[in-house]
Amino acid sequence: MTALWGAFAGVVIAVGASAAVFWVTHRLFGLVERRWAVVTATSGVLAGGAAGAVASGLRSGADSTPLLAGSQLVWIVGGAAVFGLAGAAVGLLRPPSAKRTSAMQSRLRALTFVGPAMLFVALGLIIPLLRTIYLSLFDKAGTGFRGLANYGDIFTNAQSLDLSGWAGIFGSQLFWGSVILFAFALAIALARGRRRGVAADFSASTVGIGIGGGLLLSFAVFANLRGTVMNNLWWVVAVTFLSTALGLLAAVIADRTKRESFAKSLIFLPMAISFVGAGIIWRFMYIARPPQKSQTGLLNAIWVWFGTLRPSTGGAWIAVAVLATATAMLTALCAFGVRRRQSALAIGSATAAIPLLWLIYRFIGPGVGGSILGPNGEPIAGTILFVQESPFNNVWLMVVLIWIQTGFAMVILSAAIKAVPSDLIEAARVDGADERQVFFGVTLPTIVPTITVVMTAMIVLVMKVFDIVRVMTNGNFGTQVIANEMWQRSFTEFNLGLGSALAVVLFLGVVPVMGLNIRRMQRGE
Amino acid sequence: MTHPTHQRTRRGRRATQLIGVLFAFTLIAAACASDDDDDAAATTAAAAATTAAAPATTEADPLEGTKVTVFGPESSDEEAGALRDALDHFAAQTGIEITYTGARDAADQINAQAAGGNPPDIFIFPQPGKLADFARDGHLIALPDDVIASMNEHWTPAWTAFGDVDGTQYGIPNKSDLKSLVWYKPALFESKGYGVPGTWDELKALSAEMIANGDTPFCIGIESGPATGWTFTDWVEDLMLRFHTPEDYDAWVAGDLAFSSDEVSGVFNEVLDLWNTPGMVFAAGGSIAATPFGDNGQPLVDNDCMMHRQASFYAAFIPEGTVFADGSADAVDTFYFPSVKGDKPVLGAGTLVGAFRDAPEVWEVMKFFGSSEYAEVRQRAQTERKGGGLSGFLSAATNQDPSVYQPLEQSFLSILQNADVVRFDGSDLMPAEVGAGTFWTEGTAVVNGDKNVAEATQAIDESWPR
Repeated sequence: MTALWGAFAGVVIAVGASAAVFWVTHRLFGLVERRWAVVTATSGVLAGGAAGAVASGLRSGADSTPLLAGSQLVWIVGGAAVFGLAGAAVGLLRPPSAKRTSAMQSRLRALTFVGPAMLFVALGLIIPLLRTIYLSLFDKAGTGFRGLANYGDIFTNAQSLDLSGWAGIFGSQLFWGSVILFAFALAIALARGRRRGVAADFSASTVGIGIGGGLLLSFAVFANLRGTVMNNLWWVVAVTFLSTALGLLAAVIADRTKRESFAKSLIFLPMAISFVGAGIIWRFMYIARPPQKSQTGLLNAIWVWFGTLRPSTGGAWIAVAVLATATAMLTALCAFGVRRRQSALAIGSATAAIPLLWLIYRFIGPGVGGSILGPNGEPIAGTILFVQESPFNNVWLMVVLIWIQTGFAMVILSAAIKAVPSDLIEAARVDGADERQVFFGVTLPTIVPTITVVMTAMIVLVMKVFDIVRVMTNGNFGTQVIANEMWQRSFTEFNLGLGSALAVVLFLGVVPVMGLNIRRMQRGE
Repeated sequence: MTHPTHQRTRRGRRATQLIGVLFAFTLIAAACASDDDDDAAATTAAAAATTAAAPATTEADPLEGTKVTVFGPESSDEEAGALRDALDHFAAQTGIEITYTGARDAADQINAQAAGGNPPDIFIFPQPGKLADFARDGHLIALPDDVIASMNEHWTPAWTAFGDVDGTQYGIPNKSDLKSLVWYKPALFESKGYGVPGTWDELKALSAEMIANGDTPFCIGIESGPATGWTFTDWVEDLMLRFHTPEDYDAWVAGDLAFSSDEVSGVFNEVLDLWNTPGMVFAAGGSIAATPFGDNGQPLVDNDCMMHRQASFYAAFIPEGTVFADGSADAVDTFYFPSVKGDKPVLGAGTLVGAFRDAPEVWEVMKFFGSSEYAEVRQRAQTERKGGGLSGFLSAATNQDPSVYQPLEQSFLSILQNADVVRFDGSDLMPAEVGAGTFWTEGTAVVNGDKNVAEATQAIDESWPR
């Protein structure tokens, strides 16, 4: 109980002392207009006392001998006296004009409120930042100056940046997929352009296809150019992009439906889970077990179950029947689209039917999912090692963060969609715009600023990704990211120089985005 | 315009709210702060009570009421609990207040604590390499002569040498693990006609026979959170001691024999060839790199695999209710990891205590950590906390009462105490960049098939700080 009362008293004293300091400065600044010399003298006393304390505390060398002779008390009192007199002299000899004191007073008043916050920011943020930058120029123990060599190490080490696989980009299916998408988008744009008498008309849907192509291209690049830095960029591109896109999709779909708040809270729910918790949950989702055991990881269980659906067991025919029905429905939709001259519907449903046809082929032919037939015709589970198979294990790790962040994007974008002025939408409707045209022509352009805010906030968050990687792989299997690398260098190996340099690299990556965000906020968007 | 009195009351209400919020904060802060203190107070009270109850205590012990803090990596209920029991036992004798804090990532945290100037009085080092780093950086205090004398009463030079840094003694061993062990089920071996292999070649022949019979020889998993890969490094170390001389092993650990040398990469290949043989390994997590090392106890008990090479402490990971070495059908036993050349080298590991503060009470606790009394008290407490069975604790301190150990544990001790060649876990002796860094991560990469042996060993050599 004594400890409880001790802590209680401590907090009361701390609060009381802060209040007293606040009151004194407040009163002191109240004197600025009337008794200027008192203010300068008091400031002198305070500054001199502090300077004296610092001076008497100066130590030099390894044996920490005091630099200056004399007791601490002498230094503090002496400093206070000298500085106080000097302050009084300045205040009395050169009194400022009444106009200036009044301006000064209001500024000082503001300082009493902003000051403590500034002090804490300096203590907790600015000073550590400067010290990190300082340490990043030194060696492991923080004593030998290395200049920028730590930064050089980061960018020349094959672990952090390995561009040797660049040729593989052009051999990857992802790359050719992106080329096809780009060509497709360009063809549509050119066709529309000719109809409207311009060179090319990039409608929203062509831009969408183009963005999809860009995403595929980025995956092709990041899967072949490896290393910690590239992994971080991959995280930023994929998670930012997919979370925002999925969040927007969810917001649009949920908008004005009957069970909107229920649907939205389901999607928002993962936001309540910590990154570490989510990492552990998804490790269970991804678990693979030996072929002779039943699969306990959800994804592998589904994957292996698909594999058991074979024409010989009959399961495949049920799957084919389901798929064929879905394909028939899509074909009908496509025909409907062609008849109504709704190109998006026609193209969309035709595109959606392609993977279904491919699945039907796989079910009848080589099979789908993770099972191979053993020598006696019995299915043997072929599991996917989601977390161990580089480089796409990175994507499976990103899924965790996307799962969490989609809810965040959805909530903010949903609010933005609801804030679109209804008279704008009504005007568009009156002009004969259909649902799709209203969305792409009115809603989307109105919420673009919100989308940018969501994306910049997300970039900052994703750049610092740490917990998920640490929990799920700890950077093994080619999934290392800068923040985890920083942790390992700094705290496992205690290489302060390299760890600090990594921290600075991360900081420099985040700063421009933060800057943009702050600028946007100040403009009041 | 608001009415003045109205404004007044509102302001008054605000002030009340503000005070309320401050008060709430105070309470929360006080409640948070009191947690540890209450525990400490409780322990102290208990210690004081026992002291009072023990009439033999000499009055006015100069160490009465002094405080010693101990920090270490052991954090499970059984291990940390038994450790605290042993310290409480000593606290009751001397009146020293001893607080033990355990954290799984203690080896990481101690860096920041030492650099920040608030290390514990005593740290339990899981790795001699780390102890040497701290000693060379001037954080640790060399043992006084009387402490060394006390330690030498209980430990053989083979063990005290691990606490010797450049000729000065800084650490005292206080726990030992025997790593060269293979866990198996004797009754199952007998029923299937398998014999315990005496040499490495016999082990390989036995494995081939098992595969031919449709059995899976080994359970192997190297996943261990931030320490993923250490199981692999243990295999490499054990085989380094078997294929090459102890001198080669020492040169390798000291950084004079490169990982990319034929000797070391040869052993890498030996391990990987065995592990990658089809049908050789049951990996409960789908692949060796994905399987947590602790998940191999269940499949061994379930007969999914026949053997599991793991240290003596693995007893703690074998499912509760398993019987050890009592001759029954489901009993689990161990055999010595076979040697190649007929000698019997032993790979050991363990923890060492080092002191950050020079004070008589700290040295008393240090002496206690290095005593056979500590080992006995802790062993008894840990066995009790495990509910009988194997405790997982082991100490190679001499002069211990052997009756505190079960027959299987006694056989571990006799292996440890009678071995001609004892070598400490090599990765624990190497600089942290390698021993707790690239040896693990590159090892994991070769096991996972992301790299070949030449690439991995070269990367490890490059990371060795020189």
